[in-house]
Amino acid sequence: MTESASQDGTTLIRPEIEAGSLKATEQVDVERKLSIVERISNINSVRKLTVLLVLIVLWEAYTKLAEVEELLFPPFSATLITLWDTIQTGELFEKIWITVAILVQGYVAGMVLGAVLLVFAVMSRVGSDFLSTMTAMFQPLPAISLLPLAILWFDLGAPSLIFVTIHSVLWAVALSTHVGFMSVSMTQRMVGQNYGLRGVSYIAKILVPAAFGSILTGMKIGWAFAWRTIIGAELVFGAQSGKGGLGWMIYEKGDNLETTYVFAALFTVIVIGLLVENFLFRNVEMWTINKWGMQR
Amino acid sequence: MSDITLTDGVYVRPEFVHKSLGAAGHGEVERRLTWFERISNVEPLRKFSVLILVIVIWQLYTTIWDVHELMFPTFSDTFVALIDSVVNGGLLENVWNSISVLLKGYAIGICIAAVLVVLGVTTRFGDDLLTTLTAMLNPLPAIALLPMAMIWFGLGEDAIIFTLLHSIIWPVALNTHVGFKSVSETLRAVGQNYNLRGVMFIAKILVPAAFPAILTGLRIGWAFAWRTLIAAELVFGGQVQDTSGQLGAEGSNSGGLGWIIFQNQMENQTPYVFAGLFTVIIVGIVIENFVFRNLEDRTVRRWGMQQA
Repeated sequence: MTESASQDGTTLIRPEIEAGSLKATEQVDVERKLSIVERISNINSVRKLTVLLVLIVLWEAYTKLAEVEELLFPPFSATLITLWDTIQTGELFEKIWITVAILVQGYVAGMVLGAVLLVFAVMSRVGSDFLSTMTAMFQPLPAISLLPLAILWFDLGAPSLIFVTIHSVLWAVALSTHVGFMSVSMTQRMVGQNYGLRGVSYIAKILVPAAFGSILTGMKIGWAFAWRTIIGAELVFGAQSGKGGLGWMIYEKGDNLETTYVFAALFTVIVIGLLVENFLFRNVEMWTINKWGMQR
Repeated sequence: MSDITLTDGVYVRPEFVHKSLGAAGHGEVERRLTWFERISNVEPLRKFSVLILVIVIWQLYTTIWDVHELMFPTFSDTFVALIDSVVNGGLLENVWNSISVLLKGYAIGICIAAVLVVLGVTTRFGDDLLTTLTAMLNPLPAIALLPMAMIWFGLGEDAIIFTLLHSIIWPVALNTHVGFKSVSETLRAVGQNYNLRGVMFIAKILVPAAFPAILTGLRIGWAFAWRTLIAAELVFGGQVQDTSGQLGAEGSNSGGLGWIIFQNQMENQTPYVFAGLFTVIIVGIVIENFVFRNLEDRTVRRWGMQQA
């Protein structure tokens, strides 16, 4: 357009343009029904399920066609059969129960300890300093590295697993909650003081609801670390003792080259992880921060 | 409140005149804090003294109760062990072994995550693939794959790197993907105005806009990888002992911090175990507070995306 614009003194004058006709629009579909394939492929869950199926088919085809040794990489069908077997014999549920029982004990104990530390931290400055120093120290320390010491102190068995689980939950929850408490707005604090709330009731009625978003984040991180720690701990245990839950099953079957069992156990670990993350925590979120309008 | 009287159906309060405001007249309006108060207002000093206090209690507890060194060594013993293993025990070499394995895994992991995310951003199939894979594999602790990795790659660095990859790819890909998705339409339109497409669009628009989320992903990835590495080295320790019956079999492992902790515990040298734990803490603190803090200062803080 610049070529046709003529220079007249200091002002640029563009040529006038008049569009002849807008024919094209008349021949185009303004509205069109999508084809069935398009409509189906617009459903999110259908697409994702297809991806999953494709992956499974690829896996099965690869192992069958390339004749991969079952010891190295079992086909999907064999994994499924083994999974069904372990479910029927009850072996799987037994292992799940061992792992989950220890996990829950450690998680609850970690939360209680974290709560005690936090109450001190909120009530006194020394407590606050103590908590932040301790979290800064222990948060970067992988809980699993305490396992050799735990075995030394508590012997092989559930107590040492619970000890490392506590360690993995405690600092993540304490850190996140402490940060959450500190960022509770002055307005809400003053509302609490107006009501004459002090000490524990102040924490329970003002700080906890106000900081619930970060508490939940801490609990989620704590869960993720605890889950990883307990599986890892059972693997390490596997080398030293002779019984345990899912992690131990993975280790033992791996050691005996019963690879289908390893895959079945891995499946179970994934399923439990998905259940806790997408079912348990999602529901807690819906009942609390979503319902309270703190998070959309 | 009995002074309130009812006159003609209206409550009338009595009039008050304050004679003086007593206390406020001669209260302290301004007062210098004592030395103790001023010193205790310095935060690093306070935290440092908490640390010192904890150490003193530890030392006193172990010496006074005469706790056996095997169960809980004194602080001084731990310190001596730390110095000794730095000077004679090749601690630094083992730290370097751990970190170099970690870095290799981290670099490869980020590359794979980047490829997956690029696919996920550019095509709808990629998007579905990425979300399905992350949803499936993110909840799986990487360490659980170690036994399989040992079957596939044998005892050695490759098996550890494979597990590390798994612990890094999913958190990084998940966070980056979510971050990319929440980049505002305005910023995207700016990119399209500049005619940016494909990789250029991602590099110049999406990555800077979603950098806080990417950084979160990198942090989580690091935390998981560090934990996985230590655990993997511990399992290796067990495996080596299990199969060859002797500790520290040459060539069967690459060494590392987890390995030292395991080995010293087997030899009942608890002070050295504590020294190893100290080193793990120090490396963790350095990477979290130094490397990531610096990265944050230079990017998201400087760009004003996150307040101090």
